[in-house]
Amino acid sequence: MEKKKKRLTKTYIKENWVLYLLLIPVIIFFVVYHFMPMFNMKMAFQDFKIFGGSKWIGFKNFNLLFTSPIFTTVLKNTVVISLLKLILIFPIPIILSIFINELKTSPFKKFIQTSIYLPHFLSWVIIAGIWVSFLSPTGAVNEIISMLGYKPIDFMTNKAYIKGVLVVSEAWRSVGWDSIIYLAAIIRISHVLYEAAGIDGASRWQQVKYITLPALYPTIITVLILNLGFFMNAGFDQVYNFMNDSVISSIDILDTYVYRIGLKSGAYSVSAAASFFKGVIGLFLIICSHLFSKKVSGKGLW
Amino acid sequence: MIKSKKNKVETFIIGVFLLIGAIFAIQPILHIIALSFTNAGSSRNLSGLAILPKGFTLFNYKILLQNPNIIRSLLVSIFITLVGTGLSILFTITTSYVLTRKDLIGKQIFMFMVIVIMVFEPGIVPEFIAMRKVGLTDSLSILIFYKLVNVYYLILLMRFFENIPEEIIESAKMEGAGHLTILFKVLLPLVKSGVSTIAMFYFVFRWNEYFRASIYISNMNKWPLQVVLRQFVVLEDNTALMGFGKLMDSYGSVDFKTLQAAAIVLGMSIIFIIYPLILKFFTKGTFVGAVKE
Repeated sequence: MEKKKKRLTKTYIKENWVLYLLLIPVIIFFVVYHFMPMFNMKMAFQDFKIFGGSKWIGFKNFNLLFTSPIFTTVLKNTVVISLLKLILIFPIPIILSIFINELKTSPFKKFIQTSIYLPHFLSWVIIAGIWVSFLSPTGAVNEIISMLGYKPIDFMTNKAYIKGVLVVSEAWRSVGWDSIIYLAAIIRISHVLYEAAGIDGASRWQQVKYITLPALYPTIITVLILNLGFFMNAGFDQVYNFMNDSVISSIDILDTYVYRIGLKSGAYSVSAAASFFKGVIGLFLIICSHLFSKKVSGKGLW
Repeated sequence: MIKSKKNKVETFIIGVFLLIGAIFAIQPILHIIALSFTNAGSSRNLSGLAILPKGFTLFNYKILLQNPNIIRSLLVSIFITLVGTGLSILFTITTSYVLTRKDLIGKQIFMFMVIVIMVFEPGIVPEFIAMRKVGLTDSLSILIFYKLVNVYYLILLMRFFENIPEEIIESAKMEGAGHLTILFKVLLPLVKSGVSTIAMFYFVFRWNEYFRASIYISNMNKWPLQVVLRQFVVLEDNTALMGFGKLMDSYGSVDFKTLQAAAIVLGMSIIFIIYPLILKFFTKGTFVGAVKE
């Protein structure tokens, strides 16, 4: 039996060697770009020296990390920023998609969609440039604030406002684009349902409440779970480009900290330990999300 | 009658709400464009709310497009975007095809690798050390090969392949077609919308990438546009753009605010060019699943 199976495998590979040939470059790529870095994570448990002679030191790097007051701040910032984004931004694309769906196809609708999807495709470097100008003392926001009779605020260098700036600029970038997935789900809802509800005298709001929202429920859960899985990220590219010396203590997150102490200050092992810590929590969150998603919607993340 | 009137009022309110959202989305972008065409003397008087330039000029673009650093980085960006996107599409297509063969031996092992990559990020330092070891730093190849196959886009494209009826492949096999013929002649036309979708994702990703370039490439001559932009616009380091002081003097009355705006517009330009295509592919709701990033 075993032998027969082996022979079958052999003939399969002989007949389909092209398939394996096609995979080879990708496997090399995966090994170099993904698995070698993963293997290097061992340096979290070492006193790493770049030119050899690294010693194993157990959990010393982690001890160093967990007793550092900066790390505590960074961890707190990561959780707070992620939580703020999740709570304040998550519902907006759902509302947007329902509103857009209420509009009849028209140049106006096209204009709305064309405008709100655009920011998603800009790099954070460009977004930072645009927002610094938008929020500058002479920018659009302060122009409105002055019109209302208040004093201009320097948002970008103010610790009290910078987290809000992160949340609003993230919303600016992503809510339009993120509404597409809900819009696609709404379009799939049968028109018959709405027509029947209309005949029964259901108001627009009732139609949304009893037809649209229940139909969106699986999509909402999937997106929510996906977001939870990436909770520890908090948006590196955004923070990296919005950061300045006046607000660093208020928006320094795990990823910016890992970058700064690792590549800027050369504390390779401690940085790797912080990444390891983040990776383990991320892994835990993603697996929980996956299992939860499978239970709720029958569909996992993979 | 009364009901339809109420409906109209509701539609009007929804329209106003969406209009405010749309203005909020594009006003900052339009203002930057206006600023980039405003001449040095008028920029101080340009309201932050303005979306039209004052004292129209192409001066800023002339300066930028005469600058060797900008031209070089623009060419680098175009090169890595085109070559990188092309290779990414090719390898994502071949991998999706192979991994959707139902009888593939060793499929589980490979899918396990993909999932491990999805769920576990090793962090920037372990990655940096690995890239150093392979000798990929300070060369453009790292920018082309970085995320050559994005596992999320791979899974997205696999869903398109899975939707193709097995009979089509079977009948092609009966006629004696090999894997490559089946993939490129028979199946590729059927997954066209999936391929266009990931092509757009890859294109935008490559064009916007700056972080890997900034940590792996120390030679300024190999920087893509986004890195030069970051130096000039975000870090406000004028040397990245101007080279040395002497060059700067020769430009006399340059207004850096408007010059920065022009640099930002240059960085967005390609996105504007392909945006109609993006809208065409994405907003029809033809995509199969959700993609993060």
